[in-house]
This record gives sequence, structure tokens and C-alpha cells, in this order.
Amino acid sequence: MSEVALAKQQPVRRKKTKIEFASIVGFLILLIVTIAMIMPLGFMLSTSLKTTKEMLVFPPTVIPKHFAWDNFKELFVNEEIKFGRQYLNSIIVAIATVIGTVFSSSFVAFGFARYKAKGSQFLFVLVLSTLMLPYPAIMIPQFLLFTKLGLHDSLLPLILPSFFASAYMIFLLKQFFTSIPNELYDAGRIDGCKEIRLYWNLTLPLSGPVIATVAIFSFIWSWNDLLAPVLYLDSQENFTLPIGMAAMLSSKFRIAPWNLMMAASLLSVLPIIVLFSIAQRRFVQGIVLTGIK
Amino acid sequence: MRMKKGKLALSLTLTFGLIATGCSSGGGKEGKESKEGETVTITHYTIDSPDRTFVEKLIPDFEAKHPNIKIKVTKAPYEQFDSKLQSSIAAKNSPDVTSHWGYGGFMEYYNKGMLMDLTPYLTGFSGADYDIPEDVMNIYKVDGKTYGIPLNSYVTVMLYNKDLFDKAGLKYPPTDYEDKSWTFDKMVDYAKKMTVDSKNLADAQYGVDFGFGERDQRPQYFGANVYSDDTWTNGGKPSEIRLTKPEVVEAYKKIYGLIYDQKVSPTPAFSKSVSGQFGDPFLSGKIAMSVVGSWSLAASSDFSFNVGVAAVPQGPNEKVRSVLYVDPLFVLKDSKHPKEALEWIKYLITAEVQEKSIELSGGNPPVNQKAAEKYYNNFEGIDPEQIKQVFEGAYKYGFESYNHLISNYSQINELFINELASVENGDKKVEDALPVIEGKLKDLLARVNK
Amino acid sequence: MKSTRESRREGRWFYFFISPWLIGFIVFALFPVLASLYYSFTEYDIIHAPEFIGFGNYNELFHDEQFWNSVKVTLKYTFISVPLTLFLSLVFAMLINQKIPFRGIFRTAMYFPSMISGVSMALLWFWVFNPQAGLFNYGLSLFGIDPIHWFLDEKYAMWALIIMSFWGLGGGMLIFLAGLQGVPAHLLEAAKLDGAGRLRTFWNVTFPLISPVFLFQLIIGLIESFQVFTQAYTITQGGPNYSTWFYVYNIYINAFKNFRYGYASAMSWILLIAVTVITFVIMKLSNRYVYYEGGRER
Repeated sequence: MSEVALAKQQPVRRKKTKIEFASIVGFLILLIVTIAMIMPLGFMLSTSLKTTKEMLVFPPTVIPKHFAWDNFKELFVNEEIKFGRQYLNSIIVAIATVIGTVFSSSFVAFGFARYKAKGSQFLFVLVLSTLMLPYPAIMIPQFLLFTKLGLHDSLLPLILPSFFASAYMIFLLKQFFTSIPNELYDAGRIDGCKEIRLYWNLTLPLSGPVIATVAIFSFIWSWNDLLAPVLYLDSQENFTLPIGMAAMLSSKFRIAPWNLMMAASLLSVLPIIVLFSIAQRRFVQGIVLTGIK
Repeated sequence: MRMKKGKLALSLTLTFGLIATGCSSGGGKEGKESKEGETVTITHYTIDSPDRTFVEKLIPDFEAKHPNIKIKVTKAPYEQFDSKLQSSIAAKNSPDVTSHWGYGGFMEYYNKGMLMDLTPYLTGFSGADYDIPEDVMNIYKVDGKTYGIPLNSYVTVMLYNKDLFDKAGLKYPPTDYEDKSWTFDKMVDYAKKMTVDSKNLADAQYGVDFGFGERDQRPQYFGANVYSDDTWTNGGKPSEIRLTKPEVVEAYKKIYGLIYDQKVSPTPAFSKSVSGQFGDPFLSGKIAMSVVGSWSLAASSDFSFNVGVAAVPQGPNEKVRSVLYVDPLFVLKDSKHPKEALEWIKYLITAEVQEKSIELSGGNPPVNQKAAEKYYNNFEGIDPEQIKQVFEGAYKYGFESYNHLISNYSQINELFINELASVENGDKKVEDALPVIEGKLKDLLARVNK
Repeated sequence: MKSTRESRREGRWFYFFISPWLIGFIVFALFPVLASLYYSFTEYDIIHAPEFIGFGNYNELFHDEQFWNSVKVTLKYTFISVPLTLFLSLVFAMLINQKIPFRGIFRTAMYFPSMISGVSMALLWFWVFNPQAGLFNYGLSLFGIDPIHWFLDEKYAMWALIIMSFWGLGGGMLIFLAGLQGVPAHLLEAAKLDGAGRLRTFWNVTFPLISPVFLFQLIIGLIESFQVFTQAYTITQGGPNYSTWFYVYNIYINAFKNFRYGYASAMSWILLIAVTVITFVIMKLSNRYVYYEGGRER
């Protein structure tokens, strides 16, 4: 093939200018698309600061005439919204889920990474196969189970499963644990470390970055989850943010409070933005490794 | 029922529950028969809005009068009401007292066997002792057995925006149902004079929003019935659907003609843009007249404009001009203490407590007619005589809401909402949509009523 | 070689460590899958005991217009949204992968919206698509296009959801970007020297190398779009006229609003089978077409 290439010196140079032209077009396309992508966010921000009157004006104003900071206050003061309470619930569920997922998944992943036993291969395939198990396929019996246990309308059904490890995280952590050199373990064993201490004192401290990734992603999944909370939570003071916000739309108000809803949306993405800005690399890595957005 | 939730008074009485108050309910029910002198706990399950949760304030007084009964209130929002009820029954945590405050109506609960027959406990009880009209008492009887005791009775009223009337220089509509000059056509005439059709949301204004009952009941106003008459006597299972009968088709044409032929009613796009999925556009001040359930009145003091109340105009149906929504209280079948539960219910319908409830709830219309007098006085800026006239007329020309009377109503209503959406948006003609709905409705009924 | 005693010891530790997962698997996956199979043969409203009705639910599903409609709706969304999202995220990844200024900013700006998922995103887009005061119709009005009723119009509601789904393509783009950066530069150089055009280079060199990423994204995308729920629950309630009545929303309504847990379980099982079959088929096909570095992995 290279003979052919050598014979065609000329066209290569022409192609170079073409590539540059393509880059400029690409740049422009990116610029337009990026602006289009960001615009709804700007709309969200600007609506969140508008008064009820101004939010319905057409064409929409870009910068609100009066900054209605009270919208944010209203969310917390208005007792029919219970936004503060729901925010707290979401935080409780997300943090408990993170703790549960991190410890249980790393525990299990350690088992898969460090020990061979009869059936360990098969069991790992089983773990992988549950990756594809859709939640709607199992939600009804889970719901019936928790309901019969009297746990309906409490946060527990949302938290408990996370203490039994998540397939994604097991997979992610196992890959990493396997890459830790065996010599370190052998040295640990000679020092008289028990197996559990090998996990706790050796593996976990070495796995900071990957654990951070696991933590970030279990936080986000839990934070955004709607379906499970919709099934289990019935009382307004037990709602997590997603249902609480969905309920704002339905009918607590005579005039749909778009400004309040946008303010609520903004506040609800705040933790994720914060996470993103302090751990951008972990974030990107997590997406690339898990393939989940 | 669906509409009721959002439109009730914003009251600041709701306590901010800081601790997830054990919502799984049912503490104190040990499953033993109550003995004399032993304290029993009755769970009252209600909707989580101030006009319902106010009962908590009545408890101390009740418990003082009945030292052997404790009342516990559990609650859920409208959307979750039915699901929580079912779940608690499944978890053997059934509440004792509740009402059909969710999607499902009386007949749905009845057919599922969720309700207790109260007749054995009602010896010596008479609706008249509580000033409850006989025909209202009868709504929740099946085969002579009583399954529910009425608590509140809402009617359909016309609310109008006085400011818009003044601006257009029109006379206010009458409150007397016997004033037969106030007709549907006259309403449309008025509406035309107050409609401003504009693409700009800030300028647009519409004459009338005709929200008479749910979608399947609306033709009744025009003298056409969607369901066969046996529905009202056989446990809410229509033997025949008449959606393709000419008079029904004509009725729907009139209803949706208000939007697209007369152009005096807001499109769903307008309503939803202004007030969200389930809100009421009347409250935006951009609707001159609104035919709605009387629960909207409760919010009257919060309106940003002057509001008046009027009779629903005379339509083609001389007998029915108002949909009645009588909310009862039920005792659920799994209740261990029906007797005590009934004591609580009886307490709630005494004239004194019903009067107190008006204020505490922000304006729930009492079923007790003695207390009703006080109710009529409850609305600032509206003459009590007018409200009384409107209510009495509405009772006289009223028909109970379908959602309380028809079995599996939530599924039926869902069907109407979805199938009529294209008509309401102006994409489909009434005469094309109705046969489709009829077919689907027949299939649905055949399945659920088998 | 390990002694049997040692390997038995190892086995004990293995099971000790994986026990949380094992218990969780049995309680939260295996049992529900089997229970759901059992319920699918019953009529069950959780108040009364389940009543065995054989294939009654499946038979009814087969004749249930709403069920088929939900299948249709879900497939329509899947077949339009998934390939387009995949294609667009690959294109943008390639654009960003060029030598252009502000790459980092572009990457973050494209990715950022995909973090706003779930209800926040649904609310935002409901508002953006507001027929009277929304951003989208305002944009269209600049081009003289009349307002479209989007979520209130059965002809447009699905398209609004599909447009909305593009907003989250930043995640997929990042994954492709990582894949593209893993393509060895010397291979691209070689292709260039061979005189291959951009398209040919992409098709013959780049794409085969990132095909595992592509495949993975495809499977995840399909499985996710089979499970769309948030948009239907928050924005459209399945309407107007059932045009966004997604499969999982149908399960939800039947189970938790109509209290037909048996009937809904039958649908759950069909979903489970569909997901399994599709994953299996794609995997099988991919064995033929997907390139794995260092030979074929299993």
C-alpha cells in the first residue's frame, strides 16, 4: 500500500488545505450546537428569577426586569411545597446509597478479585448478566415485598438494596482491584494481616480514585431516580426531590409556577454541578468506564 | 374529584412535619375485639391538603368527649391517595375511616369489597337528626344497605370575573335558577363580548370556560346521556354506551364548538400554558366566566380580581344544570372498631362541628343543612343570599357526579381524557373521535365488569 | 499449586466477601424475577389473594390495543432517538477531536447538559416547549414559523421528546471521545500516507477500532430507551391521545394505578425477554463485525 502512497505526493498537500477548511466548518458547527445546547440552561436561570407576571410575557425577556430572588425563598417558605424537607430526603437517600454502594460493592469486588473458588467464574458472569436486568422487570415483586414488610412510604426501600452491592460497581472495582500487584498482598499476609484487614487497610486506601468514581455515580443515580420513589413514597414529607418537583407541576398551584419550578430545578442540579467542578476528572473517567451518563 | 385538589384555599395551617411521622399508621390495633373501657385508636386517612387535614384540630375536643377513643390522622397527596390506601390494606394496616379522595370513586371501592356495610351499626341513626337531606343520604346506599355517610356537598357553580364584566359594560348574570332568561346562548353572547383572541398570552382573554362535570358527564347538560340509565341502579356498570347517538354527538359538538366555532373558550394550549397541567385558568384573571365545582369558591379571598357567583345557565336539559359532588365518609372493611369509627363520623356531621369545619377548612360546604347557613356567609365580597340561592338551585337541578357512581371510573376517565385530547386541540372532529371512544370503552367495560 | 486445605480456605473467604451481593441477588433480583413470573399467571390486586388464571394475562395482552400501542410508541422512540443520538454523539466527538481552539470548553459545554437529567430536565424542557411563552417556539417564530403545541399535540409530543433526548448526548460523546483518543496515531498517519480520504480513513481505520464502544453504547441506549418513564410521568402522562404512552409507563399505570399487578407482571416479563433477546442478538451479530484489539474476546 505504501507504494501507492509514495506515488501520490501531490494530492496530499491539496488535502491539507481541505482539512483546515473542514476544521473551520467543524468549529462553526460546534459553536452553533454548543450555543443551542446551553440556551435552555440560560432560559432556566432567567425564568427562575422572573416574577409570575414576567414569566408569561411573549417574546420571553432574556434578562428579568426585576430579579425575583424571592422565588428561591418561596421554595423553602411555602409549606405546601415542602421543598426543604424533600431536599433533605434526597440528600439522606443519596448519601446512604453512596455509603451502602461503596462499602458493599468494594467488599464484593474484593472477593471476586482476590479469591478463586468453585463457581466463582460462573458467579461473576451472573453479576455481569444482572447489568442488563431492567428495573421495571423486577419492581412489582420488590414493591410487594417491601409493602408486605410495612416499609411502604418510607425511605428504606430506596436505600436498602444499595447495601447489597451494585453490579456496575462490582465490575468497575474488580477491574481495579485485580490490577493491584499480588506482592503487596503477600507482604500484607506475612505481616499477619487478616483477610478483612487486607481489604480495609490495604485495598481501600489504594483505591481512592476509583472509589470516588463509584461514589459520584451512585450519588447521581440515586439523586435523579424517579421510578422507585414514585412507587414507594406516598406522603409529601417523605418525597424525594424528583417526585416533589413533578408534583409541583401537577396541581398545587392555580398558575403553573414555572419560575418556582425552574428555581427548584436549578437548586436540584446544584449538588451535581458542585461534584462536577471539584471532581471533573473522576466524572469523565466514570462515564468512560461505565458507559453510563 | 381530580380538579378538587389544586384549587382549595392556601392555608398556612399545615404544620411542617419535620420528622417523617410514622406514616405506616395503625399503631394500637392489636386485633383484639375492643372491650368496655379499653381505649381504641381510630385511623382517619385523608388527603394531604389543608382543607382536609384540618380534622386534626377537632381531635382534642372529640377525645375529651370520648375518652375511650383516640384518633390518628394519616395522609397522602391526591396522586398517591389510592396507592397508599391499597398498600396499607395489603400490609394489614388498613385505616378505619376515609373517603374516595383519590382517583377511584365510591363504586370502585364498593366493587372491590373495601367498604363495610354500616347498616347494622346504624340502628337509631337518621340523616334527619343531622339535617342531611334524605336523597343525599341515599347516594351511598346500595340495595338498601348504607356504605357511606355524607360529609360535604359541593355543587357546580358559575364564577365570573366582575372586573371583566364591568369593562365590557355587561350586566352580571343572575343567581336565581328560576330566571329562565339566563340561557346557554345568552352566556355565549356575553362570552363573545369579552373575548380577546390574541397570540400574545398577556393580551389574550376568553369569555367562558365551561367545565361542567367530567368529560363523559358534560353531555348531560345538553340532555344527552353517555350511559344507559341502568348504570345508576346496578352498581355502576353501564349496559349500553351511547356515544354515537346523534344527541350525544350534537352535545359534544356544542361543547367543543365553544373553542373552535364560537371561539369564546380557551384552547387547552392556552389553559395549560397559563395554569399548568391541571390548574384553573380562571384564576389568571383572563377568563370572564367559569363553570366549575364550588371548591373553587374556597379560594375566593385569594383572587386578584372581584369575583361573583351565578347560576349555571339554563341549557337544553331542564332537569340537570349542576353536578353534585357529595363526599362521604366510609368505614373500611378491615376496621376492627366500626362502632367507634362511626362515633367519630357522627361527631363530624353534627351541626356544631360542621360549622366549625367551614372555618377551619377554609370553606368546605357542610352537608348538614343547619350549618350550611353559616357556610353561605363565609365568602368575603360575595352576598350570602346569592350563594344560598345558587346552592339551593344547584341542589334542585343537580345530578351526582359520575365519578362517584360508576365502577372503575379512573380507567374510564383516563380513556376520555386521552381520546378527546385531539378534539380539544382541534385536530380531530367530534364525529370521528366518538365512535373510537365507544369501541374502546366497550372493550374496557367488558373487561373490568366481567 | 495450592493445597486443598488452602483452596477450601480461599473458597470460604470468597463466599464470605461476595455474600452481600449473593443475598442481594437472591432477594432483589432472582426472587423478583421468579415471583413476577408467577404473578404474571395470576389476577392480583394485593388486597385479595392472587388468583391463578393460566395464560389469561398473556392472552389479554395479545388483544390489548393499549399494550400494542405502548410497544409501538416505545419502539418508535427507540428507533429514532437511539441511532440519531449515537450518530450525533459520534459526529460531535470527532469534531471535538480535531485540532481546534477551545476544545476543553466545547467538551464541557456539550457534556454539561447531560448531567441535568431526570425530572429537572423534564421540567425544563416542558417549559422550553411551552406553546405560548417557551423558548423553542420563540426561536421558530424568528423564522416565521407558527407556534407548535408540542407536548399538547399528539403529532408533535413524541418529536418533542426525541429532540429533548439529543440534549443528553454529551455523555455518549465523551465516551466516543475517549475511544477516538485511543486510536493509535500511527495508524491514522499510515492511512493518510496511503492517500485514504477522511471518510475512508474513518470507515476503515477509526470505526473498526471504536466499534466495541459503539456496540456498548448501542446496547445501553436500547435498554435505556425501552425503560423511558420520567418524561411520560412528568410531562405528558402518556398523552395526548396515548401518543407517548411508553411501555414502562403502561406497566406503572396497570400495576400502581389500576392495581392489576398480575397483568403488569406479564408485561414486565415480556420486557425482560425482549431485553435479553436484543442484547443476545446484538452480541452475536457483533462477533461478526466488531473488532476487539488483540483478537476476539470470547
